[in-house]
Amino acid sequence: MLQQLRQRLQALQKTAGLESDHGALPLGIAPIDAALGGGLARGALHEIAAASEAHLAAATGFALGLAAHAQGRLLWLAEDMALAESGAPYGPGLDAFGLRPEHLLTVAATQRCDLLWAMEEALRCRAVHAAIGELRHGAIDMVALRRLSLAAGESGALALLLRGAPAGDASTAATRWVVEAAPSFSAPSPERRGEKENATRLAVELVRNRRGPLGAWILEWSDSDERFALATHAQPVAAPALDRPHRKVA
Amino acid sequence: MLSLWLRRLSTDRIARSHEVSAPLAVYGKRGNAELIVAVDTAAERLGLRAGMALAQVRAMHPALQAVAEDVGADATLLDSIADWCLRYTPLVALDAPDGLLLDIGGCAHLYGGEQALVADISGRIARAGFAFSIAVAGSIGAAHAAARYGEPASYTGGEERSLLAPLPLAALRLAPETVSALARVGLKRIGDIIDLPRSPLTARFSAQVLRQLDRAMGREHEPLNPRLPVAPYVAEQRFAEPITREADVLAILTRLAARLQFALERRGDGARRIELTLFRTDGALRRLAVGCSRPLRDPGQIRTLFAERLAALSDAFDPGFGFDMARLSVLVAEPSPPEQIGLGGGEDTAEADRLVDRLSARLGARRVRRLIARDSHHPEIAAAAVPAHAAPADTGWPAFRRHRTDAELAPRPLRLLTRPEPIEALAEVPDGPPLRFRWRRALHEVIAAEGPERIEGVWWSEHGGPARDYFRVEDKSGLRFWLFRAGLYRDLAQGAAAPTWFLHGTFA
Repeated sequence: MLQQLRQRLQALQKTAGLESDHGALPLGIAPIDAALGGGLARGALHEIAAASEAHLAAATGFALGLAAHAQGRLLWLAEDMALAESGAPYGPGLDAFGLRPEHLLTVAATQRCDLLWAMEEALRCRAVHAAIGELRHGAIDMVALRRLSLAAGESGALALLLRGAPAGDASTAATRWVVEAAPSFSAPSPERRGEKENATRLAVELVRNRRGPLGAWILEWSDSDERFALATHAQPVAAPALDRPHRKVA
Repeated sequence: MLSLWLRRLSTDRIARSHEVSAPLAVYGKRGNAELIVAVDTAAERLGLRAGMALAQVRAMHPALQAVAEDVGADATLLDSIADWCLRYTPLVALDAPDGLLLDIGGCAHLYGGEQALVADISGRIARAGFAFSIAVAGSIGAAHAAARYGEPASYTGGEERSLLAPLPLAALRLAPETVSALARVGLKRIGDIIDLPRSPLTARFSAQVLRQLDRAMGREHEPLNPRLPVAPYVAEQRFAEPITREADVLAILTRLAARLQFALERRGDGARRIELTLFRTDGALRRLAVGCSRPLRDPGQIRTLFAERLAALSDAFDPGFGFDMARLSVLVAEPSPPEQIGLGGGEDTAEADRLVDRLSARLGARRVRRLIARDSHHPEIAAAAVPAHAAPADTGWPAFRRHRTDAELAPRPLRLLTRPEPIEALAEVPDGPPLRFRWRRALHEVIAAEGPERIEGVWWSEHGGPARDYFRVEDKSGLRFWLFRAGLYRDLAQGAAAPTWFLHGTFA
């Protein structure tokens, strides 16, 4: 009897976002996969924040790139105001980003509680492989976050939260990223004007990781492979923390 | 056919809404004169009639309350009474301005016969405070005539002749000019024209006279034009005691849905749009409708959808003193193949459809959308978000993808603004990309630009707008935008407006 109760308690106490029964989603970028312990955990919540409101499109691109890895039905949930302010997902653009627009379902909510409810419903649905919730402003209710984590944990869907600015609050998210658009030239110069632009480049920082170390990378969208790759010929804004153990912290 | 005539609709409406003790009359402008158009019982007893001049009546009876007519309010009231009549039959038609027609064929037995049904309507309308008369007859014309001019009672088919003969010709719903023209030659009652030779009558007056007569006599069929489309499948339930709780409503709903499932299965149909009508004891109606992405029969799923719909209403679900009747109707039905179980891919799609239904029921169908591609070079038209329920099977993306690779389409932004936003831009050369621009009060220095991609306006339409030159630009901090210049500088010479810059979308 006591044993049974203990087992039940243990099952209830499972930390959301840490269990790995749904496996991981390898991103195909060796250093990031290593930091994440094999890849992005399925069935967990991941927060992606834009470095500032202006970089929202970059964060959107990163979130969509991750969601494209999940391969399958994708839900995009946003508040009306967010769609009016920074635009709605545009099919032809998504198509170039390795996402099949026919798999995308967009949900516009008037209120945040509607959005959180819809996202939870979507995550509980077995046919949905990833859900992106755009919750730009303000703090999010802890209870709601935990519910999202649990819902994702039940079905194994990828839950992504898109935020307008880095949040410092506590969260049940398995990882937290800060994304910024990076110049596509390593040294911007006025002479480059009029020249053909390089590939999309993003500066991505992993600021919270419940499974391993943090890091920062510059990623480049590769059109031929339809996925992100490390921008090797670019100067990284900061080398991953792992790579410089000799350096002392000031 | 049952004809309900609300004899004093406008005065009853005023008397219901506020206390009026003195005799009441409603006046309106006819031509240049203000005339009485309706009077209540007390005013009638004073000898007042519709058609008298207002000034004259006021002089005769200073205590008379005269209220201006309000045609809109009368029509709204009649509409709500028609709604209420839906409890008797789904076939309710307006007989404007102050009557209703109910096709009670096939429903009377539910109330224990025609007499009982008429008694039920009479009791409820009298309690609501309306003066009325009801007649039941075989044809629309006969019922109409009997309710207004004859003895309000029930007539069966074949009795039309004896019923109509003594009534005045106006009962045939003829134009007043025709009635007075007939009166001038001494034809005043319907009985006067029933046996007259037909051709001289038509030649002298109009074909309308005989047509209306034939319709009233039941010799020619007159179709009823119901206010609401008739649902192909309906199940209803009346309660001895009014119900108020949401749980009870859902339980009743499940029972009704189970009854519908039977009928739907027999004909191999499934419901695409379902409406629940709740009749409140005070006569008000609540209508809730849900749509489904695929033909639905399962009562459990129908219940789930309505539960979401009710949850979205929360406080707006106002049972008042309770609902005494519920009706579940399938508004749109579609053939649905028998259920197949155990198909891997199909199961997933079905699950996704159920999610779409649930979200649409709660948030509204227009808020859950799917993206479709259209065959257009115009960026705003090329892709659209349509309600997921109404999305076509062919989304157009495979064709778009082929086109994109064939035509080597320039990159498109990830997020497109609902409408392009004007920006202040400074370009080095008139036709070149901007050097810097200001969008939403922030200044962006352009360090790289790609373009232009010229997209011609829709020149075959008047509202097509000028041609656009699109540029993909990157600013100092790496933000990438999709800008365009509307209008070309070379058109300036021809008197076109100066080109202006807009921002249309953002890239990752």
